[in-house]
Amino acid sequence: MSRSVLIVDDSATIRQMVKKVMDIAGLNVDEIFEASNGIEALAQLADHEVAVVVVDINMPTMNGIQFLQRMKGNEKLQHIPIVIASTEGSTARIEQMKEFGAVAYIRKPFQPEQLRDALMPLLGVKENAGTKSGNSGDDFF
Amino acid sequence: MQEQKAATLATIFSEVLADLAFMFTDDEDFSEVDSSDPWLETKIGYRGAKNGDLIFRCTRSFTKLLASNLLGVDQDQASDEQANDAAKEFMNIVCGQLVTAMHGTDDVYNLTIPAIERMKTSPDLSLDDGDYASTISVENHSVQLVYSPTE
Repeated sequence: MSRSVLIVDDSATIRQMVKKVMDIAGLNVDEIFEASNGIEALAQLADHEVAVVVVDINMPTMNGIQFLQRMKGNEKLQHIPIVIASTEGSTARIEQMKEFGAVAYIRKPFQPEQLRDALMPLLGVKENAGTKSGNSGDDFF
Repeated sequence: MQEQKAATLATIFSEVLADLAFMFTDDEDFSEVDSSDPWLETKIGYRGAKNGDLIFRCTRSFTKLLASNLLGVDQDQASDEQANDAAKEFMNIVCGQLVTAMHGTDDVYNLTIPAIERMKTSPDLSLDDGDYASTISVENHSVQLVYSPTE
């Protein structure tokens, strides 16, 4: 089973921050792939097997909603868990993301613990002294 | 009402700055502008049941400070590209928070892609032209937010 993660965000700063969180949290991912929009993300998924996709909504070229729709319509990709990391707070938008297959929603600015707690179960990481969970459950559907 | 919205904007700005970058607003009012430090303007908007635009004005050195805090690098190591990206992402988050604070969470709003450009002149930090403007000092840097609802 792959333990790689794909980060899809047009902000290189956010991608770097997400990578740092994963590193500090000791999630032991195999590889971290990056994409700055949905088109690049689909290309990455065509070339690499990943366990989780962390994706923003507001991106140029192909936004997160369009990307999720494409993933949902692809038999090879529709099983991959998707974590939304976005600044948007609309309940309707969150429901829409859930319908498109997202399993967790983290609102920016997020605390490192929120991202870690969302990724741990998806990567099969069990809580231990080095990855103490502080999740309240609010970030999961 | 206008003052209330300006206060909401200032509160959101301060909270995002603290949560995202561990940067904090100052009590002092820094109205002097360093003319050798170029000013940048980052724009973003939201579209939906109601519309609005946000402008964030700050100096290049502030964007580098922001980038350094976000990326965990020294301020002089942050590139202009990283500084621009940090400013745009910061505004993306501020705008998202502002939309729900102003209009609630029931309606869906689409945010525009943030854009940043260098200003030809320094901004008027005492802006009062009918927009919801807020000038704040952050770690000895004056910065300005302008909110323009365009319903």
